[in-house]
Amino acid sequence: MENVNYTKEPVLLPGYFKMIGIVVMIVAFAVAISFKSMNVAMGIEQKELLRELTMNAFILGLLFLVTSRDKVEDELTLLIRLKSMSWTFVWAVFLVIVTPIIDLLFDDAIEPLSGQQVVGSMLCGYFIMYNWQKRNR
Amino acid sequence: MKNTLKVERAKLDWTQQQLADKVGVSRQTINSIEAERYVPSTVLALKIAKAFKTTVNEIFVLEKGD
Repeated sequence: MENVNYTKEPVLLPGYFKMIGIVVMIVAFAVAISFKSMNVAMGIEQKELLRELTMNAFILGLLFLVTSRDKVEDELTLLIRLKSMSWTFVWAVFLVIVTPIIDLLFDDAIEPLSGQQVVGSMLCGYFIMYNWQKRNR
Repeated sequence: MKNTLKVERAKLDWTQQQLADKVGVSRQTINSIEAERYVPSTVLALKIAKAFKTTVNEIFVLEKGD
């Protein structure tokens, strides 16, 4: 029988990806804000493209931030990652189920969630849960 | 599960960080084990016992509810 090593470290990006992630997020945010504040004349398609690009860059930065290694990765951080992942999954299901109900109750109060918004909120949720649990371990 | 990690550490005058470095985990993980908030894996329990040159049974003791 094959000897499986369950204590193997998860596949994570090197630690410096944390900084890359933060920089990508800041750049994406700065570009979005500056284009909005400068009132640059753009067509609807160009605006949509810029929105997509900045949103995707923000999500990518957030992904780098949450999937990069901490200074010390051990079995407790692995457990915390797993717990945070489960909470994030529950959060995403809750979000997808509840949003249409709110929309229905309050007469089109909120727009339907896009895939990017769901993924973005999942990554944000994961980041918050992971850091909160790490602080309280 | 109870443990005598703190006592064993005190005997050798080790800090949590020193023990953490010896077994390859973070200081917070040792702190969580001592506070009985976290039960270590078999591998980590064996590493801790090895660091103290004793057996796992000497450090980790099952309680009634376990």
